[in-house]
Amino acid sequence: MEEPRIGVYVCNCGTNIAKVVDCDAVAEFAAKLPGVVVARSYKYMCSNPGQEMIVQDIEEQSLERVVVAACSPRMHEQTFRRALETAGLNPYLFEMANIREQCSWVHDDGAIATEKAQALVHAAVNRVARHEPLERMSVDMCPNTLVIGGGIAGMTAALELADAGKRVYLVEKQDHLGGNIARVDLTAPYLDSARDILTYLVTRVLEHDNIEVMTESRVERLDGFVGNFKATLGSLANAADGNAAVDVGSVIVCTGYKEFDAARITHYGYGKLPNVITSFELERMLRQGRIETKEGRPPQFVAIVHCVGSRSEEYHSYCSRVCCMTALKYAHEVKSALPKSYVSDVYVDMHAFGKGCEDFYRQSSEVKTLFLMYGRGEHPVIRKADPGDECGMLIEVNELLSGETVEIPADLVILMVGMEPREDVDDVAHLVSISTDKDGWFIESHPKLDPVATTTDGIFIAGACQAPKDIPDTVAQARAAAARILARIARGKLVVDAVYAEVDEDRCSGCRVCNELCPYVAIEYDETKRRSHIISALCKACGACVAACPSGAIKARHFTDEQIFAEIEGVLE
Amino acid sequence: MAARKLQIALYWGAGCGGCDVAVLDTNEFILDIAAVADIRLWPIAVDGKYKDVEAMEDGELDLTVFNGAVRNSENEHIAKLLRQKSKLVVAFGSCAHMGGIPGLANFVTREEIFTAAYLHNPSIEPGNTTIPHPETAFDGSQLTIPRFYKRVYKLNDVIDVDYYVPGCPPAADQVKAVFEAVIAGELPAKGSVVGASERAVCDDCPRVKNEKKVKHFYRPWQIMADPDVCLLEQGILCAGPATRSGCGVRCPSSGIPCRGCYGPLPNVVDQGAKFLSAVVSIIDSKDPKEIEEIIDGLPDFAGYAYRFGLPSSLLQRSVRT
Amino acid sequence: MTFEPKIVGFLCNWCSYTGADLAGTSRIKYRPNVRVIRVMCSARIDPTFVIKALAEGADGVLICGCHPGDCHYTEGNYKTMRRYPLLKRLLADYGIDDERVRLEWVSASEGKRFADIVDDMTERLCELGPSLVKSALATDAVER
Repeated sequence: MEEPRIGVYVCNCGTNIAKVVDCDAVAEFAAKLPGVVVARSYKYMCSNPGQEMIVQDIEEQSLERVVVAACSPRMHEQTFRRALETAGLNPYLFEMANIREQCSWVHDDGAIATEKAQALVHAAVNRVARHEPLERMSVDMCPNTLVIGGGIAGMTAALELADAGKRVYLVEKQDHLGGNIARVDLTAPYLDSARDILTYLVTRVLEHDNIEVMTESRVERLDGFVGNFKATLGSLANAADGNAAVDVGSVIVCTGYKEFDAARITHYGYGKLPNVITSFELERMLRQGRIETKEGRPPQFVAIVHCVGSRSEEYHSYCSRVCCMTALKYAHEVKSALPKSYVSDVYVDMHAFGKGCEDFYRQSSEVKTLFLMYGRGEHPVIRKADPGDECGMLIEVNELLSGETVEIPADLVILMVGMEPREDVDDVAHLVSISTDKDGWFIESHPKLDPVATTTDGIFIAGACQAPKDIPDTVAQARAAAARILARIARGKLVVDAVYAEVDEDRCSGCRVCNELCPYVAIEYDETKRRSHIISALCKACGACVAACPSGAIKARHFTDEQIFAEIEGVLE
Repeated sequence: MAARKLQIALYWGAGCGGCDVAVLDTNEFILDIAAVADIRLWPIAVDGKYKDVEAMEDGELDLTVFNGAVRNSENEHIAKLLRQKSKLVVAFGSCAHMGGIPGLANFVTREEIFTAAYLHNPSIEPGNTTIPHPETAFDGSQLTIPRFYKRVYKLNDVIDVDYYVPGCPPAADQVKAVFEAVIAGELPAKGSVVGASERAVCDDCPRVKNEKKVKHFYRPWQIMADPDVCLLEQGILCAGPATRSGCGVRCPSSGIPCRGCYGPLPNVVDQGAKFLSAVVSIIDSKDPKEIEEIIDGLPDFAGYAYRFGLPSSLLQRSVRT
Repeated sequence: MTFEPKIVGFLCNWCSYTGADLAGTSRIKYRPNVRVIRVMCSARIDPTFVIKALAEGADGVLICGCHPGDCHYTEGNYKTMRRYPLLKRLLADYGIDDERVRLEWVSASEGKRFADIVDDMTERLCELGPSLVKSALATDAVER
């Protein structure tokens, strides 16, 4: 094989790579590899000057292949592929060696990390020499969108799309729209009514010509690929209704959250002490306009306990983000409904980030809320008061600021239950082929660069199903997802990855071993020719059929046997 | 220039003689060969001594057809001698091509082979512990026999090979085709596998193929297989999908699963690994325990997967040997 | 010099490779012995790759995919699950120690788990010593 002319670029990533890996040594090593005509070490390869360096070398040194040793390809592969395109080189003639996430950030010993980086660069150089120019496919973008979940995220996204003149199918499991916001009275920090927000959204959604709302429904199946999905929708109310199939180009998952089950924390007495209630139970009282104990009396002492199920090693380590401000909102609402009541707020840390929130915190102090701080990992203990006491319950708190153990009276205790992923999160993830993180929230494509997309092209996420968030963030995310989709619809055509599997019919014996393996039913068997064939648009490039084909007749474009063998040899040389 | 007769040698290394029989199976065609060629060495059929070969000029032979693997020092010595004397060397049959059945011995050690063959063999007289040694002093003189190697090699491990004719044994019409090509001087690119298809046995197999899902594997004697349907999808281990065709589908046509003697497909570097991957792909289970039970129905899978080609596999042999 | 085993890791793009990246972004330190090769799905891992890595001198091969039920391609990891036990039996016939080839499920959120697996496997391979495959094949060429 005649070695193509290869350029190798070793990124220092400021000091992220260079403080452990000797980048100059890696570049010197690379320069000696077969086919390498230029090897450089540079501070930031992803910066404009870094990319320009590549473009200039391609043009001046007639490079035919490029290797960048830097961060994970999941981070910047697309960036550098674009740089190749700028220089007129096919973007697939590029390979990344991951010497940051999988080298400099995980190893301390400079010499060993440098050696490992060299091995990874060697593998990338071996591999890239065997890369082939690939042409991306252009497919039609169906302008319809499926929105799963009719809460505030789903409704907002649906309206954004529908107002742009695009058709939306909005599927909601419950018999009404609204999701969790339908269970809330006022919102923090401006104390505007959730009901107003909800009524506005629901009315607009239901009246919109471009939105087809399906309540008591679920998505049974999702087939196809970006721009060309087919969703099978089924009724939950009446199985006899049968399934409906709709064509959509994109999907936005807005399945929200459920609240933490307070009964899991036994020493709060939830479920045993009748006047220990959750935040959502208080919301119901507030919406009904009557705050009272189980005995039907207005409480004199109201205590609010934060971080119930959140920020705890035992339950959820994350912060649920909305509870602190909601707790302050309760202080305001209780005080305004029962001006003579005493409100104490038992918190761990007061998280008052976000617009208007610090002001809201200050106002809460002004309405004479008693703030008591307890330590993370501890639990205040709630018990029934003694017969002679003037209150129903007593809460024992190791108060951190005073350093004293105090007992506070309570007639009504409100547990600020955190958010957690819904029970059916795995089913939804499976349905649309996306992943969940360790806590069960859906994973975005990139937390900062691509926060509403997922790793499955055409599937977007918005709202609390991605992580706990408040209404403004949810709305922003929903509109962002809709905007992403509208941009694609506007282009009309979609360019899909050139990486897919293909059958060499001159090698296929028609044994049909591969036929059952494709989860996307992309493999067809031609009875006349007695050959198997792959519909490239349906193929998602997993390579299961490639590994299984005993004839070596199926080729995984960009992940060929030859390329992977070359990598194996490279990492071991 | 007067037509010079082709000078030919046929030789057997570690083999069973079946490949020589395959040459004879060309029936009267053998007379056509004799008409255009002088057979200078063919231990099984024609007189001719090693010393005659040693006396030849280099390149004096036009063609050597070598069957059998390389198991001992004699096999290697003669292979090298014939290579030196021959313009073309053809590795003929599975053993020369890939190591063949003798190559399966690479899963065990030389000591284990000797123990089984010379010590713990039921036909050995009790108390007789004689095992072969390359050199033995006997009655005042030194007797030598070929040295038994640690492992089996395929022919091209010890000499440069021009062409490969696969099969255990090669099909008679392909034997004919090879000789005809040499006689006519119409030779393919060096290193080619000749007399075989570029596709797997299934391409020529008349059995009907469907989508495959298997819950249980059977030995051929355990079930009455449907004679018209793919054996593999009936749960009978058949190497057809992972094996070059060219054999005439002799085995599956007779109700016997393919054993893989024609070797891997052109794009495949390790026939057994690919065969494994294909076979497990059709298992119908997601339960690790059940999967284990299903593959219990594939005893000695390695022996099946590498029946004809262990020395030509990527790992070639057990690390114990 | 102490023996540093060479491990070739085949990681699926969506879960395990992302998990290994997460170990990096979380700055979790682990043994430097693994060299990762990314594939789209663990189902792409042809047994030939594993065997090739051993033949080329790997002391161990680590295969990582998404947890069963959580595959980006719905069921790719079940294909891996089916392939692995027969491959292990095959490798046993080649005399290759059981611990040299390992299949582990690592999700995108399990950076720590990936690091722990690499550390553990490295430790086990250190105890086991170098793989003899490559050197044995090299001596075969000169010493019959």
